[in-house]
Amino acid sequence: MTTTIPADVPLHETIEPEGKRAKRARVVLEDADRGILSPADWRRPHVRIVGTVFNVILGISLVIIGLLPLLWLLKSAVTPTQDTLTNPLSLFPNGLAWSNISKAWNDVQIGSFFFNTIWMAVGEWAVQLLVATTGGYALSVLKPRYGKIISGLVLATLFVPAVVLLVPLYLTILHPPLIGHSLINTFWAVWLPAGASAFNVLLVMRFFDSLPREVFEAARTDGAGTFRLFWSIVLPMSKPILGVVSVFAINAAWADFLWPNLVLTDIGIQPLSVRLPQIQSSTDLGVYLAALTIATLIPVVIFLIFQRTFLRGGGLGGAVKG
Amino acid sequence: MTVDTAVKQHVAARPERQKRRHNPITWVQRGGLTTLFFLLPLLIIFGVFSWTPIVESVVMSFQKTNLVTPAVFVGWDNFVAIFQDPLFWVAIRNTGYFALLALLFGYPIPLIAAVLMSEVKRMKGFYSVLAYLPVIIPPVVSVLLWKIFYDASATGVFNAILGWVGIPPQPWIQDAATAMPSLVLEATWAGAGGTIIIYLAALTSVSPDLYDAAEVDGASIWGKIWHVTLPQLRGILFITLILQIIATAQVFLQPFLFTGGGPVNSTTTILLLIYQYAFTNSLGGAYGQATALSLMLAVFLAILSIVYFRVTARWSDN
Amino acid sequence: MKSPGKIAVLATVALVGVGILSGCSSSSGSGGGKVNLVVAPVLPGATADALTALHQRVQQFNKENPDINVKAVEYQWTAPTFTAELAGGTLPDVFNVPFTDSKTLANSGQLADITKDFKKTSTADKWNKNVLDVATGSNGHVYGIPWGPYAMALSYNRDIFKQAGLDPDKPPTTLDEIQQDAKIISQKVPGVAGYMQMTEGGTGGWELATLTQALGGRLEKVGSDGKVTVTTDNAQTKAGLDWLKTLRWGDNSMGSNFLFDWSGINQAFASGKVAMYMSGSDVIGSLMQANGFDQNKYGVATFPLASGSDAGILSGGNVDVVNVKDSAAQIAAAVKWIDFYRTGPTADKTAAINNAKTLAKGKQAVNAPTLPVFDKATWEQNQAWIKPYDNIPVGNLTPFTDGIFNQKIVPEPPAHTQDLYAALDPVVQAVLTNKNADVDTLLKGVDTKVQALVDADSK
Repeated sequence: MTTTIPADVPLHETIEPEGKRAKRARVVLEDADRGILSPADWRRPHVRIVGTVFNVILGISLVIIGLLPLLWLLKSAVTPTQDTLTNPLSLFPNGLAWSNISKAWNDVQIGSFFFNTIWMAVGEWAVQLLVATTGGYALSVLKPRYGKIISGLVLATLFVPAVVLLVPLYLTILHPPLIGHSLINTFWAVWLPAGASAFNVLLVMRFFDSLPREVFEAARTDGAGTFRLFWSIVLPMSKPILGVVSVFAINAAWADFLWPNLVLTDIGIQPLSVRLPQIQSSTDLGVYLAALTIATLIPVVIFLIFQRTFLRGGGLGGAVKG
Repeated sequence: MTVDTAVKQHVAARPERQKRRHNPITWVQRGGLTTLFFLLPLLIIFGVFSWTPIVESVVMSFQKTNLVTPAVFVGWDNFVAIFQDPLFWVAIRNTGYFALLALLFGYPIPLIAAVLMSEVKRMKGFYSVLAYLPVIIPPVVSVLLWKIFYDASATGVFNAILGWVGIPPQPWIQDAATAMPSLVLEATWAGAGGTIIIYLAALTSVSPDLYDAAEVDGASIWGKIWHVTLPQLRGILFITLILQIIATAQVFLQPFLFTGGGPVNSTTTILLLIYQYAFTNSLGGAYGQATALSLMLAVFLAILSIVYFRVTARWSDN
Repeated sequence: MKSPGKIAVLATVALVGVGILSGCSSSSGSGGGKVNLVVAPVLPGATADALTALHQRVQQFNKENPDINVKAVEYQWTAPTFTAELAGGTLPDVFNVPFTDSKTLANSGQLADITKDFKKTSTADKWNKNVLDVATGSNGHVYGIPWGPYAMALSYNRDIFKQAGLDPDKPPTTLDEIQQDAKIISQKVPGVAGYMQMTEGGTGGWELATLTQALGGRLEKVGSDGKVTVTTDNAQTKAGLDWLKTLRWGDNSMGSNFLFDWSGINQAFASGKVAMYMSGSDVIGSLMQANGFDQNKYGVATFPLASGSDAGILSGGNVDVVNVKDSAAQIAAAVKWIDFYRTGPTADKTAAINNAKTLAKGKQAVNAPTLPVFDKATWEQNQAWIKPYDNIPVGNLTPFTDGIFNQKIVPEPPAHTQDLYAALDPVVQAVLTNKNADVDTLLKGVDTKVQALVDADSK
């Protein structure tokens, strides 16, 4: 959840239009220059030995920490329950239980909760993008005179921990203005509040600020109206930042627990994060582990495909997100 | 098309507009309405789901309400009730303990890992992916998985591993003394990857020239780390520290899913207490009391952040 | 070419969408001369068979009552969400609440008064006064219809008894015998907890209340003026906690995991990690439905009571209640439904047999032991009707069914029951996780805390 933003985070330096940033990323990744150890250091035998030892230890620890729990989960998803209970660390002493997976999908209906999660994430993503891009465009490019006040108010919300909003936001969802009936147990209850992410608006605004004004002027001279400028010029130029915002949005939706747990009490529309803790006690352990595996595999695969965006976003987002 | 005429009109209209800037009609013609149209989603979403609830939370903390009967103003009653609740003090202690342990485990480890990883040129990409994997696993799944790891019988996953090296089974989350450290261990595992990636990004921005210069001065490897790397990372280290404190002050998922606050309230954190005030009472929650406690936490964190940035800014100047 | 207007349309659609989010709340009232009724008789996660059976019964009801249109939804009543659902208008018209909550909810005006329509039901005069009392407000009006009452009992795994060399047909009949058997099991069957109790989410207090009352104590005393005094710091509660302490620390016969809520301990029992535990007498129904437990391994006995006239067994159950915001026509229809769905199978032969048939077909427990809602004779009559469809070996249940009618039934503590239970959870957890737990201080703390809540009500 967004907590607070330190005033001196160099956002504008970390995010730049695509060309510059891509170059920078390449420098980051292929920086062959040097680190703490100089090439001369590396040539010294004892540095080399100690360095290699550290390297091996580091590699092993990272595999143990990052990979082993996942592999165990994967293994246990197809292990008969009794084996997991009595001998959790042995490798298939009594064969495989592929039925765990099909039971998790069919009987526990992980599939439908899975699609609920996706639907929730897509909606949150869409609302967040809509709010951040239109708002960012208005505040950063169109610059109305009252814009300063609004961006100030948006920024201010960064300093309010999400927990403060828990109860009043819940009441807002119960009695939303103008609609007349509760949004509890509808996806709007998670989609709409997700849009109020000052972090996204800020990121997009900073990025729009850095776009060259000459392009806008040229487009205007060519007769582009406000809408066309937004749709055909600004948005296409903003793909990198939209990618980062999208990764955040989808990641957050996948991870969110407390809020959907409160507002999505109807089983039919619950996402995995809410459903998995509830079915823990009524599900056979093997099937349950298969369910956890299914819930994990998709984000991991997405991560492995888009790892650069993730790691870049992580390096940037971690610095401003609590 | 009439692009040319449009441009001409556009250009020609300019001087006139500035004269009559306060006229609503010219405001519309100048695109004021269009601007407002673009701002509308932001205004509606923030207005309804952020600004209003923030104001409401202040009001509610002085009210008593059960959602069915109208709210009644009760002055400082909610705050008094919190201070009289023995669980409040327990929750503060537990949250502080969690934050402290999280700092001890979670602050140095990512830094050391990042410094080591940054020296490994060829494997860095692969290592980053490994380190980031736990961050990608949905947090709820991580906790539920670790809950299975923490099974306190001799055949639990962790206890079985301990058994290999002859260590007797540990109670993990089943004992008031070991429950909190167990929670922190999982939280650190789940979060360290994110911090490592931040440090890695920061480390690449340390100029190689500084190391070269340090070497000319005859600095050892440790000297370089101490006099170049750490000072260069100081800014980001300050930020991650306060962010970590703020995040741990709001820890909820781990106590909620691992232990429900037990054993014997040893893992009841402030956020769990807020949740209990508001959402686990059979006759409708003490919503006012929950908001009051949230507000106190928010104010505390705000003051902490301000003081922190004042102090660290002074250190950075020196 | 992407038209610039497209985004405008998109944005407008999104904004309008916010404005027209209608049609998902349970619209109450009558439509087209028919009374609409949303009922919530099944827990979420019910099997396909159970849902088919329910669907058939709904059709049957709609046929018999052409002026009522019943729609059944899956729903679980939970205290945390109830008020919000009531306020938010997402509550079904008929739902069920546990015995512990019905009286409090009725007295605070959160349930519909169904007295008039209840009196019209054919069985209105047959009710066991003690059972109906849980659904009666302090004004004497009826606010719900109880069903499926149960007594607390001792569930045990017959297979594990055999493995430990114990006779599964002779379950323990005193607390001392539970202790001895638990010790034998823990020693002979490694990795199995001989005896366990629940500790989390208010269940720790619930089971401690059972233990206290079984020993003849009470957690709350009601004075002649109606004033409630919280008395958890009493000799019987301490004796109960002491008994737990001996099992845990003296005999080490309670295993190594101590954080269990209701469904958690059911799972541990079903997966063979717990040999005996304190449960409701009807828990086999849930063990079969949620945990796929083999009923042939299941045994249940009465929970042992101390001698003395105060000792009694704690009982519980469900009450079907009606949404307080419903119209008079809806309330009348709701009572008709509850009478058809819940009470019918208890009193009417055809309904009883139909119900048993569908349960047996759906592999659900037919003869899970419950308590009578009317009198013992009707209950025995009912048991005889469904006997051909019984799917739990009757012999496995006799240690309970033979003894229960000799046990005195004592209701749960009356005031702030859930708060009391929640406050007692840490006490039970302390005894099980800390060898040197200071029980006296902990219980005094509970007394102070819950008494304050009770006193605040009378202000």
